Amino acid sequence: MSPYDPGEDVIAVQRAPTSGAVRGTYRAFGETLRGLKTTFARIVEGTTTIQYPEEKTPVYPRFRGRHKLHRFEDTGLEKCVGCSLCAAACPADCIRVVAAENTPEHRISAGERYAAVYEINLSRCIFCGYCEVACPFDAITMGHDYEMSDYSRSDLIFTKEMLLAEPIERTPLRNEGE
Amino acid sequence: MPRPEHHIIQFTIDGREVRAIEGSMLVDAAKHGDVEIPYFCYEPKLGNPVGACRMCLVEIEGIPKLQTSCSTPVKDGMVVNTQTERVRHAQNGVVEFLLVNHPLDCPVCDKGGECPLQDISFGWGLGRSRVIEPKRHFVKPLALSPLVAIDRERCILCYRCVRFSQEVSEDYQLVFADRGADTFVATHDGHPYVAPFSGNIVELCPVGALTSQPYRFRARPWEIEGAGSICTLCPSQCNVELTVRDEKVLRVLSREHDEVDDGWLCDKGRFAYQSIHADERVTAPLVREGGELREAGWERALEVAAGLAEHKGRAGALAGGQATNEEGFLLARLMREALACADIDSRAGGPMALGLTQALADPKLQAAVPDLEFAHTVLVLGCEPLDDAPILDLWIRKGVRRRGVKLAVATARPSALDASAKLVVRYPPGGEHAFLVALAAALAGDDQAAGDESNNGARALASLLTTGGEDVVIVWGERIGPAAAQMPAIAEHLRLAEREGAGLLEVPAGANGRGLREAGVLPGAGPGYAELGHDAPIGRDAAQIAAAAAAGELTALYLLETDPVRDRADRHLWNSALARASLVVAHASVLTDGIREHASVVFPAESYAEKEGTVVHPDGRVQRLRAAIGHPDQVRAGWSVLAELGRRAGHELEVPTSAAAFAQLVEAVPFYAGLTLDQLGGRGVRWPARELSSRSFPAPSATPAAEPGWVQAGAPRPEPSEAAGPKRPENGMLRLGTYRSIWAAPEVELSPALHFTIAHQQVELSPADARRLGIASGVAVEIAQNGRSLQGIAAIRTGVPDGTAFLAEGIAADSANVLTEQLVEVRKA
Repeated sequence: MSPYDPGEDVIAVQRAPTSGAVRGTYRAFGETLRGLKTTFARIVEGTTTIQYPEEKTPVYPRFRGRHKLHRFEDTGLEKCVGCSLCAAACPADCIRVVAAENTPEHRISAGERYAAVYEINLSRCIFCGYCEVACPFDAITMGHDYEMSDYSRSDLIFTKEMLLAEPIERTPLRNEGE
Repeated sequence: MPRPEHHIIQFTIDGREVRAIEGSMLVDAAKHGDVEIPYFCYEPKLGNPVGACRMCLVEIEGIPKLQTSCSTPVKDGMVVNTQTERVRHAQNGVVEFLLVNHPLDCPVCDKGGECPLQDISFGWGLGRSRVIEPKRHFVKPLALSPLVAIDRERCILCYRCVRFSQEVSEDYQLVFADRGADTFVATHDGHPYVAPFSGNIVELCPVGALTSQPYRFRARPWEIEGAGSICTLCPSQCNVELTVRDEKVLRVLSREHDEVDDGWLCDKGRFAYQSIHADERVTAPLVREGGELREAGWERALEVAAGLAEHKGRAGALAGGQATNEEGFLLARLMREALACADIDSRAGGPMALGLTQALADPKLQAAVPDLEFAHTVLVLGCEPLDDAPILDLWIRKGVRRRGVKLAVATARPSALDASAKLVVRYPPGGEHAFLVALAAALAGDDQAAGDESNNGARALASLLTTGGEDVVIVWGERIGPAAAQMPAIAEHLRLAEREGAGLLEVPAGANGRGLREAGVLPGAGPGYAELGHDAPIGRDAAQIAAAAAAGELTALYLLETDPVRDRADRHLWNSALARASLVVAHASVLTDGIREHASVVFPAESYAEKEGTVVHPDGRVQRLRAAIGHPDQVRAGWSVLAELGRRAGHELEVPTSAAAFAQLVEAVPFYAGLTLDQLGGRGVRWPARELSSRSFPAPSATPAAEPGWVQAGAPRPEPSEAAGPKRPENGMLRLGTYRSIWAAPEVELSPALHFTIAHQQVELSPADARRLGIASGVAVEIAQNGRSLQGIAAIRTGVPDGTAFLAEGIAADSANVLTEQLVEVRKA
């Protein structure tokens, strides 16, 4: 006797009666044919494949892509004051801020302090957008760019200069109603 | 005053029956019932409550109006409510009022994230304001001092900083200027707030009005880690929490220990952390090649240092105050066991008989730090607490101000505590011995021996000590030297050993002076003040080591975190001693003169933020240092270097870890028996208070008075000149006294924030002498003696006795340790 005795728990599987040749063939290929019907019906509509990277899908306005840092348009000062709230909010811990003090001769931002170092490790970023929500000065926003692959990890650490620079518009924005 | 007795009473808070100490304030008592009452201004360390912020209002049954719980003592049967609609309404109102003028600049404010105002607004505020009027504005940010920045817009006028300045540090500099809505914190005339304890106001401020300049914008609270350790920059050994970001110490906060530091730090402890990351710090082993120290690998450096084995029996060693017990213990083992040398020392006070050392360290005689607050009389003898162990200065002031302690000061140099003292006695520099002999005689009631008119001070002091109450604590400095031989007799006359709250508190010259002695870094004693065996020779003390090395009797010197050229008396002798020695091995973190000129090998020393080990507080508390950051660059732990040198000298010390070194130490020192690192924990253990330790303390090896000094190993030594009494000033010469400023430390010189405090040679003269010599305060003077001279700046102090000049030592340039005679000539440069 086997060490495990199922006792009354044995379930007997009941099978349907075996079908004949025609019915059997249909059972094997019928669903395939039904699928092919849809395929052939769509041929007349032409190709829908997008030829990435030559062609790109437009993104929605609220799409969360690569971050941007902003300046005031009138004064040209950075909006970021280096408060590190984005770093505190970041669940992936991919933002590093080192602040420094503005001086009258060397004024970077509008407040008393500015971000001397502002780095986002985009290989860690999960694009959740919490940094954008946490920012009290709207200094950081999520852009639309999603093409960030590179050949080395260190190139994915974006510095303040890279984030402040006007990004190359590579990603088309979806228009309203599109 | 004896410690107050506590009565336990019962009161009701929010419907809960709670037991609390009668007379404690309601905010504190409420904590026993798990009730949190918000407050800003309440801080028991600052003395009596002021009730300035109105945040702690509560409802007490039987009293019609709301009461401030920070200033209402709890009584038996009191019924308190903190959660009623009336209380909530009042709290909302107070928060709204406090925020009327408070700017909303939390993102740029350094306090943001660790700010009581943020927390309380969030927890007890309404969340909105009805005020639409403009806020008041001040110029900001402003430097209140080179160390503290002030932002007056953020100030909520809680009085904490002002109370600290007025009632704790008693520098009386900070005040509230103007009144009403225009009130702001300032110094009287707008001068910078420079004081030895100014940094504490940063930690006290409940908002971001006072922030630390060196920490300004360095990190936010969520980016840092706190690492508890002990500050080893002076014997106060304050418990500190180091703020670490990216393996860098950015700030030092107090880790309040109410039996060590009372929650305060001096500015040296708070800001000299910058020296840890200074560029000038030695972070790689250096070896002298072609007359110059060059960077070399560890292998090469250890190889050169292992040459010590060729100097068996002819090597001397000195340990500096910052070395841990383990390092001192291993150094002593290396010297005694591997190199057969007994010439090791850590003391600054000159030779001392073993019996006397034991008698002075007797656990029954040891006062604890809080005893300073509760004693009847405190005598400050031959030391300046402000310079030597700054936190003791605050403890003494606290006792005098709040507990009515009678303070007596008996020093050569005018002390910062003079103004608080009931009795001030001045003896001439070098006159400690004569004064203490007279004091002991006066205490014994022997008026004849107590001497003539000139000893009236000793008699007055004796009568104050005997009539002021039984609990007498004597704070005395190691630097009084051989005069300490009188201390046991004085202690006996005052019956210090019999009273719990009475005793002696020695302020050693080095931060861990006491620990090093207990670890056996003494020429005539092993670990635990043990007598050396009969066959073991008794070694030379520091001064004899210098003389022996200069005479060529010692050929190698080991300097563990000390530079005798800077730290010890007779600079010229030490220079020639180090120059003559063929091998000088040093552990140093900064190349001070003696190390730069003479060391053959320099091992990079750890800073206290990197050390693992234990130190002993002057009152016998064994405390633990924990590493806050990793070793920078090529720095290695001191104990591991000593263990490696032992191995290379053919003697395995068997210390694979720092904890193993501690275990060996505990085994070797009888009165540490049973101590473990776990027991020490974050608060340390005061061994004189342990039953087991007191029993295992060695009985004095001989009567202290009968033994004149260490049995001499080297040349016979002249009797200490102090015994003959100080010379009288003659031919217009002045008696030389020395002092060591709190700022006279290499760490201060390496810290950019403290550059404005760096101690220079300041020659303190009495007004009469200054007039006679035609010297005004602040002019350059030249001090000459036997053809040696040094430059300084004159400072005229009214308290300085006529015929005496006090010179700074321990400083980088023009230190007084160039001079060796008792009389100096002071003239305009």
